[in-house]
Amino acid sequence: MTLLELDNVSFRYPDGSVGLNDCSLAIERGSRNALIGANGSGKTTLFQHCNGLLRPQSGVVRYAGAAFDYSRGGLRQLRSRVGLVFQNPDHQLFSASVQEDVSFGPINLGFDEATVRRRVSEALQAVGMAECADKAVHNLSFGQKKRVCIAGVLAMQPELLVLDEPMAGLDYKMRTEFLTVLDGLHAQGITLLLATHDIDFAYRWADRIHLMAAGQCTASLDATDLAEKGDALSALGLPLPTVIELHRRLQAQGLLPHGCVPRTHGELLVLLETNTYVKEAACR
Amino acid sequence: MLIEQCAYANRWRRVSPAAKALFALSGLVASFAASTPMAAVAVVCLLAAVTWIGAGVPVGRYLRVAAPAFFFLATSCLSLAFSLNLNSDGQALSFQLTPAGLQKVDEVSGRSLGALAALLFLVLTTPLIDLIALLRRLKTPEVLLEIMILCYRMLFVFSDAVHDTLTAQSARLGYATSRLALRSLGGLAANLTVQVWQRAHDLHVAAQARNNDGPLRFLEPTFAHTGRDVALAAAGGSVLIALAVVLS
Repeated sequence: MTLLELDNVSFRYPDGSVGLNDCSLAIERGSRNALIGANGSGKTTLFQHCNGLLRPQSGVVRYAGAAFDYSRGGLRQLRSRVGLVFQNPDHQLFSASVQEDVSFGPINLGFDEATVRRRVSEALQAVGMAECADKAVHNLSFGQKKRVCIAGVLAMQPELLVLDEPMAGLDYKMRTEFLTVLDGLHAQGITLLLATHDIDFAYRWADRIHLMAAGQCTASLDATDLAEKGDALSALGLPLPTVIELHRRLQAQGLLPHGCVPRTHGELLVLLETNTYVKEAACR
Repeated sequence: MLIEQCAYANRWRRVSPAAKALFALSGLVASFAASTPMAAVAVVCLLAAVTWIGAGVPVGRYLRVAAPAFFFLATSCLSLAFSLNLNSDGQALSFQLTPAGLQKVDEVSGRSLGALAALLFLVLTTPLIDLIALLRRLKTPEVLLEIMILCYRMLFVFSDAVHDTLTAQSARLGYATSRLALRSLGGLAANLTVQVWQRAHDLHVAAQARNNDGPLRFLEPTFAHTGRDVALAAAGGSVLIALAVVLS
């Protein structure tokens, strides 16, 4: 079932630069989506449309089949369902303490204090920041700020979480921890859409990969089909994920049988090991 | 930043801000009640001792925070002690150290030091976020609180931006000569103006994305044993005021 749908949406900024140009995109409920596009291709503009922050100049945005209602009440409902996490945490956090900032969304939704407290502690728990609840925002590291941003949106219990380049600026350990957080959210049934420049990560993690160029969504592919649809990537000047290239080369060398393409480096290694084992057994 | 560090690292961080504010207020009242230098000194010593020993704020840090205030106090005391006189024929100006002026200095400086110690006690033991929460409970107008919250948060964003720009300029020899320094400083100011405008816009968008449509509201922190702490603070404050009155 389609949760969010952009139908031929166009948006031009007041200074004349094109944000979106006839962009169409669909996000399925419960799926993991990666949006890949060069800087300035319109990813952030698209995200701001998902949350009703920007209003399309032509075209329609639909949520669960119904066109967005841009009235006060409609936006209120929409923004409680679609959570948006910005790229730079300093642009999003404006309260002084962690707990206060996370409480901002649920209080805006009009919940009573007990509910707000429960939601805040649950959200901080989900991102592993429960022990930092009373800290001041400016005393946190970049990665921690990023997590507080996510908690601030999670506390509103959205159905769709939109993250603008969540991995930017995170070290390896942070990324791994962050992925665990995302997996946890997905397991709870939250639909995820994130922008990234890392094609290997997108291939490994996402169910659907959407490609963007010049304000348009040029292709939406199942990640499993990516190996065959390399031209869509090369049209944007993007390489194939390294694991696909390596797998192909190994197949060409006769080291691996033809078959399904692994998604991760680890899967490829396992494949290689079992295959060598089979060959050695045959030799004996 | 020094104040900030103390406010977060002191022993009384988890004590109810209402109690600390009450004690500080008693300190202020005691300073005003202290009409002799002796009483004022006693109040100052007591307040400072409570901050050092009770809350565990390091003495060195305390004095460093107080230093700018001492400087202002010293300059204003000088201007009080000396009076400027025009002699009878209106020809020459002269400075005079008057006994009345000196007495005034004793009184004013004692009281100011007392008030300073009371305020230092409060700000060095209580983070601003707790103070804002307290002010909200005391029904301070919402607009003022919002401005405080945003200023406080933006202070750090702003100082980060200043620091980053300064580093970037220095790395490219922006401050190598005084001429260049002046030029770079101009660039810094111009850059910051644009950045602040941009940041303000970004924050507005972020607030909208989280369903904000007017006042900025947040969850207030809770403190255990508020009643007990307030009672203790009231007792301590009364002792302070009584001391000031008795010694006066």
